[in-house]
Amino acid sequence: MRWVTRAGVHIDRASSAWLVRRFIDPEAQFEFVTGPDDLPDGAVPFDIRGVEFGHHGHDCTFETLLRRHHLDDPVLWRIAAIIHEADLDDDRFDAPEAPGLDVVLRGLSMVCDDHETLGLTGPVFDGLYEFFRRELLLGREPS
Amino acid sequence: MHATVVANGTSRLGEWVLLVYRLPREPSTPRSAVWRRLRRLGVAQLGDGLVALPSDARTLEQLDWVAAEVQEAGGTALLWLARPSSRAEERQLVQAMKEARTEEYLELRTDALASWSAPVAERQRSLKRLQKQLREVRRRDFFPPPERDLADAAVAELGALVADPDAARARAGASAESGTGVTTPAPGSDR
Repeated sequence: MRWVTRAGVHIDRASSAWLVRRFIDPEAQFEFVTGPDDLPDGAVPFDIRGVEFGHHGHDCTFETLLRRHHLDDPVLWRIAAIIHEADLDDDRFDAPEAPGLDVVLRGLSMVCDDHETLGLTGPVFDGLYEFFRRELLLGREPS
Repeated sequence: MHATVVANGTSRLGEWVLLVYRLPREPSTPRSAVWRRLRRLGVAQLGDGLVALPSDARTLEQLDWVAAEVQEAGGTALLWLARPSSRAEERQLVQAMKEARTEEYLELRTDALASWSAPVAERQRSLKRLQKQLREVRRRDFFPPPERDLADAAVAELGALVADPDAARARAGASAESGTGVTTPAPGSDR
């Protein structure tokens, strides 16, 4: 499927794209547009105001995607807490990783185009997933 | 950027994002949630249900999501890009935002200085809280006033005190004697 979001991806869009490709649609192709007026037909929009996969209630787009696709993997929800705090910064969750990850993503978006950013952040989120998976299994921080 | 627009006074006026919104009085929970969000973003309040931020990709996106939140809560919201009609009007807006941040920075500085005389455990907790608050204020500070440096320095000094009380107190004492340094409260008990 084709998926489309706003250009200039930061944490919520980069992590959502990773989530889509890993857990929802392995064949996903991503496109980027400047605003809601330029949405192409036949592509699933995400992280854009007024669409299904956007912010809803207290949720950022990553959390909305988890809910609407019934993904209840606790490791993904642990990552969701980081994305939520990096994106919304409302202190709902204790996620000390958030400000650091936010800065990394914002910096990347300054030196990379959106496809490059997704390419680089994919392994970052893979790594975070593995880290929190092991942490959950061990019951403590992995080495 | 806005700061340069305002500083050199010759280029064209900066662009602002304006959010015009209306929310039902009841229930009050979404109203206060929206207001908390806006406060955190550091908006200038231009009127009842009308707030502004200097426009950039981030502020545009953030206010866009607030607009979505308002609409989901049964209210109405419109997002505008606008320019003040005169430089004087923009200056007024900038000044108001600066003053709001200045107040926050001075309060942080006062808190940081007061924590010098607190018991060690409490001082550590204060440091964490103040570092976090300082980060938040800096994030919503679009036109940094000189008082920002005072808050930065006071929180950094408190950090140094927590990490190495003796060295920090010695430094504070020395600068007080030479009459050049920042004023720190009388040393209290460290341990």
